[in-house]
Amino acid sequence: MQVALDGELAFYQQMVDGITDCEVVRLDETGAVRTWHEGAERLYGYTAKEIVGRPMSVFYTEDDVRDGRPGFDLRTAAENGQCVSEGWRLRNDGTQFWAACTLTPIRGAGGTLYGYVRITRDHTERREQEIEMRAVERMLDAITDYEVIRLDAEGLIRSWSPGAERLKQFTAAEVMGHHVSMFRPEEDIRSGLPDRELASAARIGRFEAEGWRLRKDGSRFWANTIVSPINDESGELIGFVSVGRDLSEKRAQEQLVQRQQEEILELSTPVIQVWDKVLVLPIIGTLDSARAARLTEGLLERIAAEQAEVAILDVSGVPAVDTEVAQHLLKTVEAARLMGAVSVLSGVRPETAQAIVHLGIDLGSLRSRSNLKEALQLALSIVGATTVAVSGD
Amino acid sequence: MTERVPIMRMGDNLIVMLQGDLEDGTVEQIEREVTREVARTQARGALIDVSGLSVVDSFVARIISRIVAMIRLLGSDATIVGIQPAVALTLVELGVPLKHVATALSAEQGMARLQGRRREPAR
Amino acid sequence: MSLPAEETQVVPIAAEADLLRVRSALRAEAQDAGLSLTAATKPVTAGSELARNIFRYATHGQGVATIERAEHNGRRGVRATFKDTGPGIANLDEAMRDGFSTAGSLGLGLPGSRRLVDEFSIDSHVGSGTTVMIMQWGR
Repeated sequence: MQVALDGELAFYQQMVDGITDCEVVRLDETGAVRTWHEGAERLYGYTAKEIVGRPMSVFYTEDDVRDGRPGFDLRTAAENGQCVSEGWRLRNDGTQFWAACTLTPIRGAGGTLYGYVRITRDHTERREQEIEMRAVERMLDAITDYEVIRLDAEGLIRSWSPGAERLKQFTAAEVMGHHVSMFRPEEDIRSGLPDRELASAARIGRFEAEGWRLRKDGSRFWANTIVSPINDESGELIGFVSVGRDLSEKRAQEQLVQRQQEEILELSTPVIQVWDKVLVLPIIGTLDSARAARLTEGLLERIAAEQAEVAILDVSGVPAVDTEVAQHLLKTVEAARLMGAVSVLSGVRPETAQAIVHLGIDLGSLRSRSNLKEALQLALSIVGATTVAVSGD
Repeated sequence: MTERVPIMRMGDNLIVMLQGDLEDGTVEQIEREVTREVARTQARGALIDVSGLSVVDSFVARIISRIVAMIRLLGSDATIVGIQPAVALTLVELGVPLKHVATALSAEQGMARLQGRRREPAR
Repeated sequence: MSLPAEETQVVPIAAEADLLRVRSALRAEAQDAGLSLTAATKPVTAGSELARNIFRYATHGQGVATIERAEHNGRRGVRATFKDTGPGIANLDEAMRDGFSTAGSLGLGLPGSRRLVDEFSIDSHVGSGTTVMIMQWGR
């Protein structure tokens, strides 16, 4: 029986050796490593020679080992037939990554425990995205005159917000898990519009449309909806975000908000310190010479006051980047550089980038990112504040 | 105007302080003295501190450019430190080409840069 | 140098030291008009550029800078006029065009100076001289 089992495992190992983007290894009944392959080496940084025979605890962080986590995971797997867990794991060089692990016990015919199969995937990026998504959701929950809904890849509702409840009158319990088309009038559903819109969003990266939506009491309202897909690090679709607003109320409210925004911008220098030595200047609306000069002066004075090393110029709120705006940006960047600060452009949409290129403006070595999150990551790496350790070196 | 040009030594780096309202002749004298000092002390780097200058017109800017170029020709490194916001704006509006001159906000940051403490700028 | 700001200061531009005097006068007058030290940098720098042009290109004793207080609709400002009886500028359009100042030398720095101030006017004739007027208003 032992020979047969070994033969089966050997065949299994052969299959596994071909897997390189995640780990599938065998551990003995105490959790010590018995087999290794290229995927495991890529993930954990150990060669087979270095790791075979070592106990499972080497992969866990000091805190986890102290809490008895390795043993706990093994016992859970042995008792329940599987242990699925997520957590920080250690690489050979001491760096950490966020891992999704599955431990499955291997038993002989009599039920004897021979060991375990462990599968590990690197979910570091996915976790960061989820954290950011949750932070964004919390921020979006604060918005009550828009509705922001998260859908999974099939279009089922996975999150609800106060704004959505206000707009559509349904509570979260009444909508969770249902398909987003529940708010569409029958004629839209019959013509397959909701599914086509989701598919279009997934393919193009964004879908915007106006149409009728249904409230809980059956009444209709004309809404503007923008659907954007959410992808994971491998480009796979994991869901959608749908932002909608009631256009009938919108007009008066928009004008009021616009006026208030302009007043605020007039009164204060809208420079935000988002990190030690990192400033963000959100540029919203149109820029005339006087306003541009005020924004630039304000930024430079904050750079001096906070000893900032990076200035992020966020242009996502600028409807059209023409020559004048581009020149103002360039002057601001140059002046900031004279003060020793690096500038990063953020919120550069494809249309903006095209406009700049067509205008024949050379942005030189000016760095640019499509959204604030990425610009912030770049800024943090410039000031040396990365929290995710980089392996090697 | 033969005031002593303020040049200080800090380790194997020099710090040159430019301040007040400088006459053209003084500026040129500073240029000569800095060049001489850098050559004499074989300083690895020089910080040109202009935080005391409230006005930098195109002439002064050009001299600063020249000082930096000469320091580099002598095999040393140079950083301009303390350009005030108003001065930065003015220089940009004037279209003064200080593009290839290294800058830092404060003497502290300037020293860090001279001492080669690398900050990896991502691509 | 804290000179009391008089209504008008006339600075003949004959020696290098006069450039300092022009800057001081401009700074004092600008602050008197309510401009902060930072905001005053622009007209002072522009004035420095213009005064230096006179010093460099006009024969000694042929140039003068006049710095005075200005007032309009309750707003205070500073006005500076740079007048010389030097050679004059042959091609004014070219001298005022942006590209001109970036080609090699900075030329007369006129476009740059113009960008720094609220109001700018220039009048020049070959053989009779040049007059440049700049104005900066307090906020």
